[in-house]
Amino acid sequence: MGTTQLLFWLLSALSIFSAMMVLISKNPVHSVLWLVLVFFTISGHYILLNAQFLFIVNLIVYAGAIMVLFLFVIMLMNLNKDAEPQKSIWMKLAGAISGGSLLLIFVSVVRSASEMQSKQALLKTGNIGLIDQLGKTLFSEYVIPFEISSVLFLSAMVGAVAIGKKH
Amino acid sequence: MPIHSLLDATVVNTANNYFPIGVQLLFAAGFVATMLIMSALLGPKRKTSDKLANFESGIEITGNARQPMAIKYFLVAILFVLFDVEVIFFYPYAVNFRELGWAGFGAVAMFVGFFIVGFTYIIKKGALIWED
Amino acid sequence: MNAIILSAIFGVVLMMASAFVSNRSLYKTIALACLVLLVGANIAETLGYSFFTIDTHNMLAFNKMGLFFNTICFTATLLYVFISSSEIERVDNYTAEYFALIFFSLCGIAILTSFNNLLMMFLGIEIMSIPLYILTGSDKRNLKSNEAALKYFLMGSFSTGILLLGIAFIYGATGSFGLESIKVGTLQMQLSILEVTGCILLLIAFAFKVSAAPFHFWTPDVYDGAPSVFTSFMASIIKVAGFYAFVKLFESRIETTSFATNPAVGVNWHLLFAILIIATLFVGNITAVFQQSVKRMLAYSSIAQAGFMLFALFSVNAFSKEGLYLYAAGYCLATIGIFAVLVRMKDYTFEGFNGLAKHEPTLAFATTVCLLSLAGIPLTVGFFAKYFMLAAVVKQGYAWLAIVGVLFAGVSIYYYFRVIAAMYFKSADENPAAVATSSTVKIGLAVVVAGIIILGVWPHALLNFLYF
Repeated sequence: MGTTQLLFWLLSALSIFSAMMVLISKNPVHSVLWLVLVFFTISGHYILLNAQFLFIVNLIVYAGAIMVLFLFVIMLMNLNKDAEPQKSIWMKLAGAISGGSLLLIFVSVVRSASEMQSKQALLKTGNIGLIDQLGKTLFSEYVIPFEISSVLFLSAMVGAVAIGKKH
Repeated sequence: MPIHSLLDATVVNTANNYFPIGVQLLFAAGFVATMLIMSALLGPKRKTSDKLANFESGIEITGNARQPMAIKYFLVAILFVLFDVEVIFFYPYAVNFRELGWAGFGAVAMFVGFFIVGFTYIIKKGALIWED
Repeated sequence: MNAIILSAIFGVVLMMASAFVSNRSLYKTIALACLVLLVGANIAETLGYSFFTIDTHNMLAFNKMGLFFNTICFTATLLYVFISSSEIERVDNYTAEYFALIFFSLCGIAILTSFNNLLMMFLGIEIMSIPLYILTGSDKRNLKSNEAALKYFLMGSFSTGILLLGIAFIYGATGSFGLESIKVGTLQMQLSILEVTGCILLLIAFAFKVSAAPFHFWTPDVYDGAPSVFTSFMASIIKVAGFYAFVKLFESRIETTSFATNPAVGVNWHLLFAILIIATLFVGNITAVFQQSVKRMLAYSSIAQAGFMLFALFSVNAFSKEGLYLYAAGYCLATIGIFAVLVRMKDYTFEGFNGLAKHEPTLAFATTVCLLSLAGIPLTVGFFAKYFMLAAVVKQGYAWLAIVGVLFAGVSIYYYFRVIAAMYFKSADENPAAVATSSTVKIGLAVVVAGIIILGVWPHALLNFLYF
């Protein structure tokens, strides 16, 4: 097993563990901190795939900005009362069973798909994820979705002002 | 990995180049962890109730810190995220600035144009004015 | 392209109006003018006058069918804004913003009628939905509105996650986001299980968006909690646009991934859709019977109507195609009409409608026509819409499903007639309407009623546009 494989398994285990901790933690602030760890491990995966731009964007936007938003949301909440309604055990059981079956289906689909067999992930090398390649594709082939996404940003801005600002 | 590749500036596009960063991360985290553990182990401890109380500039604690915060912090934060994402799109453009030529410039100018409209709107609406 | 670009620009115009024009009564005039221009520009493109020539790299494909659907949606929005602009002004101080958000939503609709690429479809859905989350929560001091917005947003993002997962699976199977290359790819080789999984996930996400059972749970709460004016917009124009995208995405896919063409790994789409349709019709109609509030009843009835629109997916043929257009137009007209009356009521319960016929005969008459159309009574457009849908299913050879549809349509008559009975056969001393009916509303309602009856007598007034 080379270094890359070792890192891959390490990062995968860590990301799944911290993703579970996000859900298990009782304290929402702890959940957010675990989520930061999830983002860091996913960024690690991007590095292994040699997607360097996504690595840095994931850190800047998700682990940086979005997490700050999450923390603000938590600070907006009233955490004094332990008011979280407890779900019944049957609810939890039903959720676990349906989620588990979905997981089983996904695992079996990915394992049995002909596209996935005898294929290897492009590790460490490859130019697709590099910033210059990404820029060329983004501003030539995908320029229309890029421009249209600005409409999405505008509606988010209008929405933020309309919801969050006192008149 | 041979150590001289660290000095080789032409090799920029493999994940190996992130090895030093990984090492540095490990060092940084390890240093912090070691220092914390060492100071906890070696330092003197006097656990009186006064010592364990939260430090509030020597004044006795009053009230509770966990109060819902004003929404205006959130408004600023969400606007920050929007413009942060906008700036992210500049990196791939900046790298390809020459090759993309006028077509790329037009695309980015239009995108920025939309954002300037949004920015004007935000300023005019006073969304960034703190006192209200 | 006209519609996409201009609707975005008009949204910006209204944002700027909000920032620079202080006279608030001007906003609705600007919005109406922009909508007229938008409808005009879209018709111009249908006739071949495109104002913008842009290489979309085959991500958007404009055809007459999609453009005509745009025209239906935009005209319905024009009518909606015309009738309810004074109500929109009353929600909160952000009138111009609401209009801007409606325009951005229309931009999303224009993308959804022309996407040729899963990426554009995703963008279209997001651009259409995000303004809605905000409009749902626009009544800031009302706790129910806040709850509805949060619920809608969380559920909507969850279904978007499922949608993205589906797109990722399909991308993994075919290596492309394009609709066309997927079609070619699947015909040539053995269908991939990855793609089938992706298709099912897309189906779930879309069923969420159009509130088909068992993914309908958000609908009653959101429709009930949102300010009634915006419920009207959500339940009519947005809903039919979602259906158009649903059909557009799946009509080519059903052929290639169906059980019949690919027995090894294929989806038995007919069985899946039949389950979805029957569940939706059952939940919508049966639950609507037990509602006490007319607004909530309309939310459930919109689920029931979604069941009928799903027939267009069950059978992809000329009948269902025409039926979808007719359904879109008729359902939009009736929903806009009935909500225009509902927002005027003091009390949203069935008793609140008591004696409306005596005090406000115009409103009562318009409501009656709209309800009859929703129920599918002959001489209204709702009849032909349902007829085309059922005929399409029968033509496909599934007469039993059509019978189920007719039975549930029969159930729906019960709860629609409860409102009519309350208006005409019960009396109240006070006027049940809270606001005096302005002449604008009367004109708007007259247009709605005229539209419903004209299309109900002569549906080809609309359908002929598909073929000219």
